[in-house]
Amino acid sequence: MSQPVVVCKGVTKTYQKEAVPVHALRGVDFVVHPGEFVSLSGPSGSGKSTLLNIIGGLDRPDSGSVVVDEVDYGGLSESALAELRLHKLGFVFQAYNLIPVLSALENVEFIMQLQGVPAAERQGRAEDVLTKLGLGEMIHRRPGEMSGGQQQRVAVARAIASDPVLLLADEPSANLDSRTTEELLELLKRLNQDNGMTIITATHDPMVMSYATRQVKLRDGAIEHDDAALPA
Amino acid sequence: MKLLLQLSIRNLLRHKRRNGMLLLAIAVAVAGVNASNTLLRGYQLDLLDTAVSNLTGHVKVHAPGYRDDPTIMNSFVIEDSFTPDVPSDVLLGWAPRVRIPGVIMSERETRGVQLVGIEPGAEGISFLRDAVIDGEFLTAADDNRVVLGKELLRQLESDIGRRLVIITQGADGLNRERGYRIAGSYDVQGTGLEKLFVFVGLEHLQALLETDAVTEVSVRLTTENYREPAKLSMAASLSDLEVMDWQELEPQAAEMFLFADGVIYVWFLLMMGALTFGLVNSLAAAVMERVKELGMMRALGMQKRTVVVQVVVESCVMMALGVLAGTLLGALIYAAISDGIDLTAWSDGIELFGVASLLVPVMLPSDLLTVAFSSMLLGIAASLYPAWRVVQVQPLDALRS
Ligand SMILES: Nc1ncnc2c1ncn2[C@@H]1O[C@H](COP(=O)(O)OP(=O)(O)OP(=O)(O)O)[C@@H](O)[C@H]1O
Ligand SMILES: [Mg+2]
Repeated sequence: MSQPVVVCKGVTKTYQKEAVPVHALRGVDFVVHPGEFVSLSGPSGSGKSTLLNIIGGLDRPDSGSVVVDEVDYGGLSESALAELRLHKLGFVFQAYNLIPVLSALENVEFIMQLQGVPAAERQGRAEDVLTKLGLGEMIHRRPGEMSGGQQQRVAVARAIASDPVLLLADEPSANLDSRTTEELLELLKRLNQDNGMTIITATHDPMVMSYATRQVKLRDGAIEHDDAALPA
Repeated sequence: MKLLLQLSIRNLLRHKRRNGMLLLAIAVAVAGVNASNTLLRGYQLDLLDTAVSNLTGHVKVHAPGYRDDPTIMNSFVIEDSFTPDVPSDVLLGWAPRVRIPGVIMSERETRGVQLVGIEPGAEGISFLRDAVIDGEFLTAADDNRVVLGKELLRQLESDIGRRLVIITQGADGLNRERGYRIAGSYDVQGTGLEKLFVFVGLEHLQALLETDAVTEVSVRLTTENYREPAKLSMAASLSDLEVMDWQELEPQAAEMFLFADGVIYVWFLLMMGALTFGLVNSLAAAVMERVKELGMMRALGMQKRTVVVQVVVESCVMMALGVLAGTLLGALIYAAISDGIDLTAWSDGIELFGVASLLVPVMLPSDLLTVAFSSMLLGIAASLYPAWRVVQVQPLDALRS
């Protein structure tokens, strides 16, 4: 079997909320292999976002280790983590994903521009991806001139245009109605099936869960259920 | 970098009104500083010209002791072959003179004056160049007539063509008394000089005093910038004489000159300081309302320092536009007043500083560049604090807010 994309071992995270410690994660072991489409679910406050952010290098665990694509996060500087996010990870956030002063095309080019991809190449790739996602008509529109669903699809386009090893999406459907949610999920499913893109989502939304190939349920900062732990 | 420029310009355009006002403020401040600089430079140049033309020159040679006791006793002889030890391309001209105290008498009045023996041809370097002459000026070094100031002529209640008596001390310490015909009178800005100097041919005066010495050699350069080196090289070749520049001979004028420099800096700091304050506030507001956006960029992998540079670039674009507009506006103001501002209404106060009553502005490219350059530095400085503040917010916190 190929190398796992994500390996978390004994990850804990405790926040201080008005001097009261909140145990957001209490020793999570979690492995994701290439090509998986994982849904993290669980009640509010169970630690889904915290785990996703730690895997995404946006937050640091108090103890335990995180290895993504064979890079151990332990000891990486803030700037090295930023570099890693830029080159290996794709993010789709809940809302406010896009840069308002840039057009859809420029937003999709943004990451590749930071990566230093030559102008002609990144523009070609950005146009390709946008067209594939059915946004060919609106590449010159700014976020303010698009619907929420269209904006989220542009965000997905931006996340995947640079070919990340892992796509992380925290509540990607929270601001969408069920029809656009379905469109978005179809899109993620296609990316997962056709391109073998590894995806982890954190969600409450049963529709999102139903599209995933592996269910992981959290409760009180620990994994309560994991499809991967079931006998095959 | 292209991305950052694009982002900053679009973000500036996002708030056209707010940034338009700020741009206007920068432009007006820069234009104001530039315009006032042209006036102060004009004043300085006038001050310099007056000080240098006032028989001082850029550099002057005396016998040691002449300054304490300005008589023919403290004089020196110059060789026929003498020329000042200054490269010829920076030497505008030089003049030997005998300058001693004397008493002048008309039929009605008596006045104490400075009697100055000159070579008329060499005096293109002094204020006489621009003076308005009534009657005739001296024609040669052995001219035995006098030329005096219009004001003095009025006070003596005499006239051109009439005769006067001058008493002064000869090289032997004995008084000389002699009658002179008035060849003409000179009229210059203000009356101070007109009351002070009475001119006569140098060779004639030397003959009267029974000497072949002079009391001073005045040297005028083509540029003030060469004053120091000229003084040093002349002092080296005339080691037994006293070589001084106008700043030492006219310390008051020198102080006013430096004072004008100081005013330029203080004025710049005041105007631009107030402006920087506004710029910092405006940038802080612009950046803080984008915390989320900038946090998202960092979450996607943009480095902290790139975010800082982004804010700095935005500030610099703003400043550059403001400086450009302000420099153009300043040039327009300069063009409008380039004929000079008539100060005759205030000339009583102004004359104290020995300045002409017409203030002609002078625009120096170096001043424009200094203002532009310092403004850009301020633009960078002003953006550092807002930039620093915005990167203190962690990307996750920014996204959550
Ligand atoms: N920055 C923080 N400071 C303090 N407490 C925090 C912080 N982030 C998360 N927490 C707490 O940690 C716990 C886990 O939070 P997390 O956001 O991971 O939950 P979640 O499963 O994503 O919840 P939701 O479904 O509401 O998004 C919660 O109790 C939350 O209040
Ligand atoms: Mg969450």
